[in-house]
Amino acid sequence: MATEGRKKLAPYLLTLPGVAFLVVFFAIPMATVFSVSFQEGSLSKGFTFTGHYQNYTETLARYDTQLIRSLLVGLIVTILTLVISYPMMYWIAFRGGRRKNIYLLLILLPFFTPFLIRTLMWKTIFADEGILLGALKDIGLLPESYQVLATATAVVAGMTYNFLPFMALPLYVSLEKMDPRLLDAAADLYSSRRQAFLKVTLPLSLPGVFAGSLLTFIPAVGDPIDPELLGGVNTTMIGQVVQREMLTNNAYPRGSAISFMLMAAILIGVFLYARALGTEEMTG
Amino acid sequence: MDRNREIARLLAEQPRRGMTRRDLLRRVGLSAGAASLTAVLVACGIKKEDTADSGEKNTLTTDEEVGNLNFANWPLYIDRVQGRRPTLDDFTKETGITVNYKEVIDDNESFFGTIQEPLSGGQPIEWDMIVVTDWMIAKMVRLGYLEELDPSLIPNFTANAGQIYKDPSYDPGNKHSVPWQSGITGIAYNPELTGRDLTSFDDLFDPAFEGKVGMFKEMRDTFSLTLLSMGIEPLDATEDDVVAAQTKLIQQRDDGIVRNYYGNEYADALVRGDIWATIAWSGDVFQLQFDKPELQFIVPDTGGILWVDNMAIPEGAAAPIDAMKFMDFVYDPEIAAQITAWVNYICPVPAAQEILASAEDNYTRTVAESPLVFPTPEMEANLHSYKDLDEEEEQLWNDLFGEIIQG
Repeated sequence: MATEGRKKLAPYLLTLPGVAFLVVFFAIPMATVFSVSFQEGSLSKGFTFTGHYQNYTETLARYDTQLIRSLLVGLIVTILTLVISYPMMYWIAFRGGRRKNIYLLLILLPFFTPFLIRTLMWKTIFADEGILLGALKDIGLLPESYQVLATATAVVAGMTYNFLPFMALPLYVSLEKMDPRLLDAAADLYSSRRQAFLKVTLPLSLPGVFAGSLLTFIPAVGDPIDPELLGGVNTTMIGQVVQREMLTNNAYPRGSAISFMLMAAILIGVFLYARALGTEEMTG
Repeated sequence: MDRNREIARLLAEQPRRGMTRRDLLRRVGLSAGAASLTAVLVACGIKKEDTADSGEKNTLTTDEEVGNLNFANWPLYIDRVQGRRPTLDDFTKETGITVNYKEVIDDNESFFGTIQEPLSGGQPIEWDMIVVTDWMIAKMVRLGYLEELDPSLIPNFTANAGQIYKDPSYDPGNKHSVPWQSGITGIAYNPELTGRDLTSFDDLFDPAFEGKVGMFKEMRDTFSLTLLSMGIEPLDATEDDVVAAQTKLIQQRDDGIVRNYYGNEYADALVRGDIWATIAWSGDVFQLQFDKPELQFIVPDTGGILWVDNMAIPEGAAAPIDAMKFMDFVYDPEIAAQITAWVNYICPVPAAQEILASAEDNYTRTVAESPLVFPTPEMEANLHSYKDLDEEEEQLWNDLFGEIIQG
């Protein structure tokens, strides 16, 4: 029957736009980049596929410091955003009352300005002789040589700031949808507030923690912009390495190989994390 | 001279506009990658059997005028008044050739990435004339990507170009290129912060300036100045020399003297006082001095770099004769002065200085008097060129340099 057949096809037809999008903008580029990562050559001689796996070993040996640094910074940033946004979102979700949405808006408001502008403003605010440090140095609270910019601290702080909403929003969603009567029930069953938090609230918010961590960690590890703008000597992260190999050196195979190694490192990290949290929480 | 007054008036209103050329790019450089990413994908998996043989004698696609010129240039690199480009308008008025002018070049490497594919396959590209830096000219000549020029069509160049622009090391005999504008890579510093005058490149290694020195992310600039400071002419630099230069620069970094390796943002850091002394480009410092007159620019006593952006005709271009007519046109001192009054880089036509000096407004006279736009003979005598690196050398230099700036 024609209608029968159409009914069977319907779900596939509905997914078609999404699948087509993924194929064109994700699968094909990924396959191309993967193939490039095994190529050899130069821009003017052209690149040929030779199965040159040394692209991986050589770049790993060359950039291991930057790769490890990136993973570490990503981890620190994820933990910091979690520690900062959890109490904030907890308060809004449970104590926000009718003004919840206003509080949420207030937190998100700064993020309506472009990312680049916000980060560039940091350079103005934290300039060595700028409005903040300059003033503190003038009244003798900071030594003359003190600087914030061009340090690893500035990179971590800037990224924590920029990635905060990616952690905060999933947390808020998972906390907000929690039924507050569960806490009443816990109290009825003689649990202390601390116990109620640890046994009820925290486990129920884990899907938010998980989602927020992924949304923060993954882009943070590969972010080239914050370290470029706020970092200095010896703060190079892997995103900057990829950028330089691709755009300055035109060494596409090396850049592609690093990208794939980064992806592998992140996948392993995420896999371990999912195992630790339990797969059930992963899907919420 | 009415037009010149108009230009000057606009310049006086926005004195820092000219500086944005390189600036612009590198700031959007992070997203400008999009263009070259296309090049990446195009380059993928495509095998080139051989590159064009540069020994072959070029033959132009036509020896007739076509009437339209497709001209690719860098942003903010030609005079612009109230939405018009006077130099282009004047050219059309005089020759009847229309100009399709596009500001599509953001940096040498990524622009090369976009034109390399067709050129290597012997296909023409959409541009009849491009502007790229000297070392890129050398590279493209080596690959056979540029047409030979006919000097008889560019008499103004022979008559009016400054001596240092003729027969340059990167393109002997100006066979394939003539300069558009140029600039000096030297040192800028703020004497109020350094507390003394700087004269040499080694001043950037003074422990007294710990954490207050800016170096460049540009491999060619940083290495060339360092090599010069070690008494090595960049053109003759060997692998050992570059390794030695790398050692010197790593030492400087590990001693904590370098605050950061900068792209264009060095100018802001210098103005803010985050850095006291830095490698710098003359054109930027000329602009910055309007806001911060105390800033100084020097050619280090061990030598500075003269970089030259050149006009050239890509192989197989549709309108080579029109392009050469344009090259000739901008070597008319009046026209050269008109461009320089706006872009404020170093003008390849010395006679333009007198024309600008006779202008009635202060701004244009400042341009004429500045050694950063018209360098003194002493400065010129101490300027050197980048080495033309072949591909292997370039990768080696880039890798060595990466180890310094991407610690």
